Amino acid sequence: MHEFSIACEIFDQVMNTATAHGATEVKHVTLQVGRLAHTNPEQLEFCFKVLSEGSIAEDADFVIEMVPPSLECECGYRGDVNESQIRESGELKSELLAYVAAMECPICGKPAHLEGGRELIIKSIEIETKDEDLTADR
Amino acid sequence: MLMHVIHMEHDVFKANDKIAEKNKKKLDKHQVFSVNVMGAIGSGKTTLIEEAIKQLKEKYKIAVIAGDVIAEMDASRFRKLGVPTIPANTGKECHLDAKLVEKALNEIDLENTDLLMIENVGNLICPVDFKLGEHLRVVIVSVTEGDDIILKHPMIFKTSELAIINKVDIAHAVDVNAEKMREDILSLNPDVPVILTSKHDWESLETWISFIELGLKKAQKK
Repeated sequence: MHEFSIACEIFDQVMNTATAHGATEVKHVTLQVGRLAHTNPEQLEFCFKVLSEGSIAEDADFVIEMVPPSLECECGYRGDVNESQIRESGELKSELLAYVAAMECPICGKPAHLEGGRELIIKSIEIETKDEDLTADR
Repeated sequence: MLMHVIHMEHDVFKANDKIAEKNKKKLDKHQVFSVNVMGAIGSGKTTLIEEAIKQLKEKYKIAVIAGDVIAEMDASRFRKLGVPTIPANTGKECHLDAKLVEKALNEIDLENTDLLMIENVGNLICPVDFKLGEHLRVVIVSVTEGDDIILKHPMIFKTSELAIINKVDIAHAVDVNAEKMREDILSLNPDVPVILTSKHDWESLETWISFIELGLKKAQKK
């Protein structure tokens, strides 16, 4: 389980940005998590909750947007993996991963490069401030 | 009270990648070839690194970063071979990250190092998303893990540059088909070199060691 160290990084980044903008409270934290990243969003949220206790982010809601894997091929093809197709291939996550990891380009049939789907991005935060002044740029 | 939405677009893994890039530049500057050895607990990472050190230490200057929850045990095995070893304790963490390696690099005399072996923490999941700045990513899997282990952990095989199937001498005893394991690896990553090894088969170890030496020679030519 490595969600704790990732949650630490997220917490630090969120707190730095929030305080730089004069936040009195962090209301939302929106994350984008790639479906192929080895990160469990529920554990991430739990770790964040533990870390943020007593801070201005303790009541923040976690919004998690899952990012589907996308393929890129040397033939020029770029596209998302058809998720309905993945679901049909089996329910186990490991099987889905194996399926996606071995995916071929639908145009030329060569093994495609996985372009997206492995990221973990802190997309945005929603904060409350006392007055209109945004004290600093991010 | 006012509400603001602040766009951050901060990619946690890319932040790690940036430090990894920095590590790599530092290693390149000193012409150090580095190998990130990943694999499950008991797959044979420490043993295969030891064998490589034994064969290469007369020719090259070697250093080791031993990453583990408690790294001292493996580190003392490497020190016995006379190579400088930095234990990178991850505490409760299940992988090395670029920051830990950055810290460890400060303790290594890079000017007097040709080869840096980095032993990652034992598992097939967590190290995948964290580049360290290595030149060669190696995954070691042993037959004792069962021949369905590869498709259960596809990403580590997909992203490695060398795959080793270890302990093949006991494959029969554990009812595993090493060739099936090789095929599974190639189905995920068709271009990756796959080596079958056993610590009792000298020739197989030579193949692993010659692979490292090939990288070393390339690094020194730069």
